Amino acid sequence: MTLAKSTLPDILETPEWRVEGRDKVTGAARYAADITRPGMLHAAFVGSPFPHARVASVDVEAARKMPGVRAVLTGADVRPARFGRRLQDWPVLAWDRVRFIGDRVAAVAADTVEAAERAAAAIAVEYEELPAVFDPEAALAPDAPVLHPDAAEYTYLGGTRPPRSHANMQGHVVHEHGDVTAGFEAAAAVFEHEFVVPRVHQAYIEPRASLVWIEGDTVHVVTTNKAPFALRDQMAVTIGVPAAKIVVDTPHVGGDFGGKGLSLDEFALYFLARATGRPVRSVLRYADELQLSNTRHAARIRLRTAVDPNGRITAHQGRVVFDGGAYAAGKPVAGLLPGGPTLTLAGYRVPAARVEAVAVYTNTLPAGHARAPSQPQHTFAAESHLDLIAHAMQIDPVELRVRNAIRAGETDVEGNVWHDSQAQRVIATLLAASQWGGTVGLDHGRGVAFSARHVGRGKTSLTLTLAADGSLEVLTGVADQGGGAHTMIQRVVARELGVDVARVHVRRGDTGHANVDPGVGGSRVTPVAGNAAVDAARKLKARLGELVLTLDDAARTAAPLAVTGEGEQNEHVFGTYAYSVEVSVDRATGCFRVVDAVLVADVGTVINPVAVRGQLEGGFVFGLGQAVMEELRLDDGRVTTTNLGDYKIPTIADAPSLRLVLITDAPGPGPFGAKSAGELANPAVGAAIANAIDAAVGARVMSLPITAEKVRAELAKREGYAPTSPDGTADSTAGRR
Amino acid sequence: MRADRRLIDALRDDLGCIGTKEGCSIGVCGACSVLVDGKLLSACLMPAVFVSGRAVTTVEGLARGDELSPLQDAFIREGGFQCGICTPGQLIAATALLAERRRPSDDEIREWMMGNLCRCTGYHGITRAIKAAMA
Repeated sequence: MTLAKSTLPDILETPEWRVEGRDKVTGAARYAADITRPGMLHAAFVGSPFPHARVASVDVEAARKMPGVRAVLTGADVRPARFGRRLQDWPVLAWDRVRFIGDRVAAVAADTVEAAERAAAAIAVEYEELPAVFDPEAALAPDAPVLHPDAAEYTYLGGTRPPRSHANMQGHVVHEHGDVTAGFEAAAAVFEHEFVVPRVHQAYIEPRASLVWIEGDTVHVVTTNKAPFALRDQMAVTIGVPAAKIVVDTPHVGGDFGGKGLSLDEFALYFLARATGRPVRSVLRYADELQLSNTRHAARIRLRTAVDPNGRITAHQGRVVFDGGAYAAGKPVAGLLPGGPTLTLAGYRVPAARVEAVAVYTNTLPAGHARAPSQPQHTFAAESHLDLIAHAMQIDPVELRVRNAIRAGETDVEGNVWHDSQAQRVIATLLAASQWGGTVGLDHGRGVAFSARHVGRGKTSLTLTLAADGSLEVLTGVADQGGGAHTMIQRVVARELGVDVARVHVRRGDTGHANVDPGVGGSRVTPVAGNAAVDAARKLKARLGELVLTLDDAARTAAPLAVTGEGEQNEHVFGTYAYSVEVSVDRATGCFRVVDAVLVADVGTVINPVAVRGQLEGGFVFGLGQAVMEELRLDDGRVTTTNLGDYKIPTIADAPSLRLVLITDAPGPGPFGAKSAGELANPAVGAAIANAIDAAVGARVMSLPITAEKVRAELAKREGYAPTSPDGTADSTAGRR
Repeated sequence: MRADRRLIDALRDDLGCIGTKEGCSIGVCGACSVLVDGKLLSACLMPAVFVSGRAVTTVEGLARGDELSPLQDAFIREGGFQCGICTPGQLIAATALLAERRRPSDDEIREWMMGNLCRCTGYHGITRAIKAAMA
């Protein structure tokens, strides 16, 4: 790893030692599935075998009499409880209608997992099948079956649900800025392409787990949810218990990647705990993870872009259709679309744009958030689209990006003006590091992809206490999903106070003890919680100044001394990054291999060097998996990749080497000038590989995952036609005006 | 013990050794890797009765008292984990590798560690950690 330039000496120059490191390498670290309670029962659920049906009857009599069974609940027992992060449209147990295969209609609590599962199997449910719809475009037809006829009853958290023009729309937004018509009329050429991205799963290794018990009038929840305060507030609405009487505790989370902001089981467990007076636990089997939980949205993306004679973008149009699945419950953002739904050309100057995005109900498992929501879909489309434009206009692909990458003071595709941009520098650095333009071997090709990701926004607070023994304790509500948040907080506090890191102890508190925190996600933790850590340290220094005491004297005479640090980051700031990937392709089979990869990333000041490297390397391989091998396949609504053998994620043998070049001297709004890194690497991998394959053998794959079969099929098409198509695509609608 | 009781359940539920994790439940992710008489196995597939009278090593058995093994130390220094859920299995598999081959090549590391999935690190930190531990 090369650091382009660095300005900070001291703590930040020393590789970090993870505060939870010893626990994680010795097996002492506790995850939700490791936590038990005396008298704990186990839950099992009954799911629908039909993608869309009316629930005619549920017979639980036989199940109730089975040995070890303590409670059996149906939709009628929990009605009208529904859950969701923003729109509460998902019934805890369905009472009148099921909307996807696996939608739950009954729950059992029993002494053992086996007893609970036996009883669940003995529950007899009668269904009356309804017409199902699996394709989002079909679901938007005027006469399509309506999945949610009772939507008016649903609770929308924090405001009013935005209007929709079709009952099967979850969310619908149109962004427009500039004079789009004039931009297209003045263009030298207009290009239009359509791209398809499938559903993929976050594929964390830890399945969801949760444990709920009631003590007095307080509901206790142990969970894998990475946003415990948000879960508390959602749960309060769903189960009708005040938030102050719900305590949510998130121990270490075994991987999130955006998926664990939505809880599935906790709500039913509350009703089971209430019915039995006992703690009740559920640990999902991986097969259920793949069939029930909120996946990344599949998308169909049509981009239309106008350029001047030099390839500069003059106007852009986009239409994005997201498959939202049976419920919108997994989406936390106000518009009920995945985050950034109209960010189709991230990191470019776009003087005029009109981008429409819609998320649609279908009778398939619900979609939700996954690492950098919307961006892997959009970046695959945008960066493939730009390469096709470069090819057609006979402009070098990197040069086309240089001409269009946003500069300070220019407007992006969502109409935001960037006050600072490292885009040109990122591309120039990539050119040098990748030796772009040099020769490559036979059937080798290089592809480039550039993109941008916001520095996370939000607000949090934490407390810092000086103890009599001179130690400093931070209490935070930020969960540990693996990003290194607690170590980041430790180092920021230690550096600001000028003390050794060993003197700072970071403790995670449950929602009953820690200050409110919005949860891990959206590239938020370092810029937001990091700023809270700086603020806490500064406030403590100010208190010491008022007392005219040193830290050590204050510990002896004034401890405990506690301050609250507030952190907020609302600036609209982006980090930019770019890949160069070299592939070799076997023309006979379409098989390809990444032989070299370079990533240049603008990450701002680095707080945790080991973790930043890990986020980028891990993001690259995560992106690679979703680019070339991962697809959650469905057949008439039924998931057919139901285990980690069929749903393939990269192994160590699939991970190519990666050269990293970090730009660290352009300060961001986080602590000491930090930006974000967690979602900076994964979205652009697919396009870089697609572009490289096209450069190598002239095969353009317009959908993810990019498989050998698709490459071979494109090669066959070219072999069948005269291989002289001006834009290199047989099925593209691109053309010069 | 019942003949169909899995080793992972015996370890976690009966013995309280919660360091060993269950991921995929079908022997492909490697989170539940343990050593049985030094051989690498998936505890989610192995009936517990099959290990009767044999030595089972889990992640809890890798450190000597407070002293971390060179691999455990290297996993922390080199970024061999993030969320940590696959780490017990990675450490067990890597321990078995270094017992088999004192200085494995990069290809040998890749071949051996292929059965242990990690979604966080992209595996680079794991490879660095194994190499650092054998140095």
